[in-house]
Amino acid sequence: MSGRASARDIAVWDPLVRLIHWTLAPTILLNSTILEEESTAHEWIGYTALGLVALRLVWALVGTKNARFSAFPPNPIRAIRYARAVISGDRTVHLSHNPLGSLMVYNIWLTVIALGVTGYMMTTIRYFGVDWVEAAHEIAFTWLMISVALHLAGVVFDTRRSGINLVRAMVNGRKSVPRGRPVE
Amino acid sequence: MRKLAILALIALATPALALDVTPDMELGTTIDEVKASLAAMGYEVRKAEMEDGEIEVYFVRDGKMGEVYVNPETGAITKLEVK
Repeated sequence: MSGRASARDIAVWDPLVRLIHWTLAPTILLNSTILEEESTAHEWIGYTALGLVALRLVWALVGTKNARFSAFPPNPIRAIRYARAVISGDRTVHLSHNPLGSLMVYNIWLTVIALGVTGYMMTTIRYFGVDWVEAAHEIAFTWLMISVALHLAGVVFDTRRSGINLVRAMVNGRKSVPRGRPVE
Repeated sequence: MRKLAILALIALATPALALDVTPDMELGTTIDEVKASLAAMGYEVRKAEMEDGEIEVYFVRDGKMGEVYVNPETGAITKLEVK
């Protein structure tokens, strides 16, 4: 029996969730690499990222089931419990973000918001050239880079562990869940 | 005495005249000198630091933000941006 025949293909991510993810990722990539720090392009790409996160937060209130806050509450206790379960071999499949991934989602959103807000502040007369604002922007940036690295590592790890290709799920919106696996 | 009074008057009046920083100026060879030069022109100096071997100072005045780079060897402005 082939893996595909014994698996259910479940639609988990709606098009807007995927569009936001795959637009946010390149904004982070562009602003952290090729765009000059003080360029207009850097500013507008930053505001775009902020807008995408804002849109996603609204969608987490009114969007499809797996996209909602209720599907992936920010709950550290749940995340610890999940990590323990994974270590002890639990194979439960999460249709939305798993509890550890959920924390990363909120972390990345908050960090992007912090970058956007401090970035905007630097363009205002009140906070232009004010040290702590620049320091906050730089700390948030470093933290975002660490977070992105952990996020990618998490995706690779969970894809290997669960056998469900998370990148594919974020591309075509579907998770291929082997039959007999508990689903949450 | 009268001369002194005129000098004092000029000194007092200078910040109010709000001389603009221009690319041909020499602002000084240390961070403190550059800060003082800008302050004398009525600018509020924000961040000042060494950046790639040059003195970089952020300043604001009259709702405008500016950034200046000064060569510490010559005291001359190498880059000036006001917006």
